[in-house]
Amino acid sequence: MSYSKAKVEEILNNTISRRSFLKGLAASGVLSALPGGVLEANEDLNTKIPYSGEKSYQTFRNACPRNCYDTCSIKTYVKDGVMQFIEGATESTYTRGGCCVKGNSYVKRVYSARRLKYPMMQVGGKGSGTWKRISWDQAIDIIAKKLLEMKKEDGTLLGAALTKYSGNFGITHYGIEGMFNSIGYTTRLAGTPCWPAGIDAQNLDMGDMWCNDPEEMKDSKFIILWGVNPAANSIHSMKYIYEAKRKGAKVVVIDPIFTETASKSSQYVQIKTGTDGLLALGMAKIIIDAKLHDQKWLDANTKGYKEYKAYLDKEVKLDDVSNVTGIPLAMIKELALSFAKAKPATIWMGYGMQRHTNGGSMIRAIDALVAVSGNIGKYAGGARYGHLNTWGFNYAALSQAKPEGSVGYSGPEGAKGEFAQVGGEKAAYTDRFLNINKTARELMSAKEPKVRLLWVACKNVFAQDFDRNQLIRAFQQLDLVVVADQFFNETAKWADIVLPVTTQFEEYDVNVSYWHYWLSINEQAIKPLFEIKSDLEIAAMLSKRMNQLQAGSCTFPQSVDTKEMTIKEFNPAIYEQFGIQSWEELKKGPVKAKAVIPFADGKFKTPSGKFELYSDKAQELFGSALPKYLEVRQPYDKFRMTSPHSRWSLHSQFQNLEWMEDFHPEPFVYINPDDAEAKMVSSDDMVAVFNRQGVLRLRAKVTDNVQKGTVLMYEQHYHNSIYNVNELVDDTSSDMGAFKTGAPGVALHDTFVNFKKL
Amino acid sequence: MQSNVLPRSQRLETLKRLRDFFNAHNSQTLKQAYDAFSLEHSIDEDELEALFNRYFVGPMEPVADPFASVYLDDPQSVMTQSTLHVRSLYETMGFFYPLKNIVPEDHIGVELDAYYQLIYLEEVKNVAYLSELRYYFFHEHIAVWMPQLIERAMHGRSEGDNAILFILNELKSFLIRETTTTRSHE
Repeated sequence: MSYSKAKVEEILNNTISRRSFLKGLAASGVLSALPGGVLEANEDLNTKIPYSGEKSYQTFRNACPRNCYDTCSIKTYVKDGVMQFIEGATESTYTRGGCCVKGNSYVKRVYSARRLKYPMMQVGGKGSGTWKRISWDQAIDIIAKKLLEMKKEDGTLLGAALTKYSGNFGITHYGIEGMFNSIGYTTRLAGTPCWPAGIDAQNLDMGDMWCNDPEEMKDSKFIILWGVNPAANSIHSMKYIYEAKRKGAKVVVIDPIFTETASKSSQYVQIKTGTDGLLALGMAKIIIDAKLHDQKWLDANTKGYKEYKAYLDKEVKLDDVSNVTGIPLAMIKELALSFAKAKPATIWMGYGMQRHTNGGSMIRAIDALVAVSGNIGKYAGGARYGHLNTWGFNYAALSQAKPEGSVGYSGPEGAKGEFAQVGGEKAAYTDRFLNINKTARELMSAKEPKVRLLWVACKNVFAQDFDRNQLIRAFQQLDLVVVADQFFNETAKWADIVLPVTTQFEEYDVNVSYWHYWLSINEQAIKPLFEIKSDLEIAAMLSKRMNQLQAGSCTFPQSVDTKEMTIKEFNPAIYEQFGIQSWEELKKGPVKAKAVIPFADGKFKTPSGKFELYSDKAQELFGSALPKYLEVRQPYDKFRMTSPHSRWSLHSQFQNLEWMEDFHPEPFVYINPDDAEAKMVSSDDMVAVFNRQGVLRLRAKVTDNVQKGTVLMYEQHYHNSIYNVNELVDDTSSDMGAFKTGAPGVALHDTFVNFKKL
Repeated sequence: MQSNVLPRSQRLETLKRLRDFFNAHNSQTLKQAYDAFSLEHSIDEDELEALFNRYFVGPMEPVADPFASVYLDDPQSVMTQSTLHVRSLYETMGFFYPLKNIVPEDHIGVELDAYYQLIYLEEVKNVAYLSELRYYFFHEHIAVWMPQLIERAMHGRSEGDNAILFILNELKSFLIRETTTTRSHE
């Protein structure tokens, strides 16, 4: 027998032929003769539609919920229920129609064959690789019974721990914390590995972390990009920097690494890692000595200028500043004076700079420099770090009551994290907080009760937390580890149960940024694939099952609709701030908050109401009222290792996609030519990088983009490689963070290593 | 050539077993589907499922993804042009797919189900209206990618994975027999 390929394709592709074929199909008795199976006979066969499916695109509003400055507003194009492509929303002047390489890969991400598809249980034990497919009912039943068993045995649910961070910053995803709130007092891995020391510093200085609108930078006359690399990690901000530069502004990059942004700057200043605070103090001294400081503003708006100046006069020696920072004194003077003369001038501080044992003190010193120059509270000025000024949602998904009679921790209560803080009456008990930056040792050492169940959501513990070997031991001692994720990663490898969760395109949510001032609705654009569910649906299923097993044991709603949950997050203050009447207006595109210049009214949220160059709170918490220079951690091995973010990934997300692997197929260690020569290493040689924490084997790239004495490895994760830079990072704390985020940060750029050619 | 063609009932039965095997979603249905082949090699239910998951389901990267798109369009993607082409074929054939936009239409189990129903239509109901589309579906699509899946699974096979080897051989034999029955006249 034979067939005509051309004839069949004519039927498939030609409108008239297909219509005619379908009419014949209906008349031939085929539909009643089909036996049925996975596919069924289409009893509603429409012979009038020329082509199956929809010809035209449906569009949906989305937002990138990743841990990124840019939080892009997205427009998604869907045809016949399938995402075709996305583009940056043109309504947002910040996103302005474009996404980064990661955002543009979203269709690939959603339809990646590597996504988790079904709930599964690792029946051979953690790390065995022997998995069994289980139904959602089975998965939830196992978890619910374990929780109730623990509650019965311990008299509390403090043995249940949650670790969740920045994998999805959508507001309804605080429903994961809500799920844990709703079962009782539990244990939380609190704090942030990201930016806590800087948050504390800005709160000590100004009572808030509140940056100017990045779009104002186009009108800045002088921009210092201090330890930040927006050309790689906040690409939408670059257009404002370029515009300022075109208009004559000077753009200076201060960074230990010659970055992509440095290559676009007016001037690059290579500073020795961890000495930035001293440079800021030296610059302030030069400005004050030259009487270019804004005495009027300082008199009206600061507390402690006299003490600060006395410290500069007595303790800060410019020759020392030059020697310690590695920057010629003439260059420092020129930089300081030109910065002081330009109005408005601004400094954008990156998060890497505060990932040192002296990180918070360095941010304080730079804040003070901006204050001295009179650029706080000014349009296109400011000491920029980030903001949470547009995050005033209801946190309805988060705010779940504890079940009646819940017993918890009776120790001191503190901050839980930097984002959602819901107030309320002080209760007899609290949750138990463990330091997220010491996850391994905290999980192992927690007692009375010990942690027996760990729920991981929006987080890849093994990629982001420190001391991998101890993490394995910690996970192995837990009775039940549940990992809710979109992909199989190393944390999932050590799980007992994995739960597949939705991408933002498969659920409703709402998103704002910690950098820009835009608000985006995130509409469900497609059905969730396979058996994937949203975090909120999972919480609802758990609540339903727990209440079946023990009435009143969980207060989370027992059925949810992500759209309804999203609507509940809006309130009149949000509408007022963004100038809208209803969330539904966001279907037309993202909207921007009404313009406000932070601290323009001179009202700071510090105890004194002023910018505190001298902070009693800082003295109380961290032993220094002034932003004094604090020496960075001393080396414990031959070379400093820094591990900044790559533009091809967002922490452990995106690098597993084929596009990213095409661009950046393997990790490298970047070594200064002098160091490489001493070790007889050339580019592309395999080297071992090692320290007391562990060892990594990878290829070398020899480049003077990194300083002598420093090696660089990007924080990247590959689906086909065990490379993880955190293998070498210990969990030494940065100086600040506990004040506002619950735990100090991690001094991950104060890691020291050695290397040798293999 | 004729000697390669299975008797009608056996052809359908083999196809049905293969379909049920690849559509199994728990250890019980998988074991039932496996046992239906009456193979000499017996295997424990849980062991079979662990093996099946490692080869075709996950959660780790499967040895051989069970989607045509991975072999025809993009090694890391589902729901690609090939998937939508199969969707169009199903819809032209008069099928309704309840899992549309949830499980891609080019999953091996779904395609074997479609092919089973098309053969059933011809052999049991003597309805030939879809025969040409069936031939096209097989020769222009199934016969292009399923051998690649078999090859990849064979290549990634570990010693002792005999249950999977038997099933792959059953699938391979079936594809060879079907391939010899029809050709495009172009």
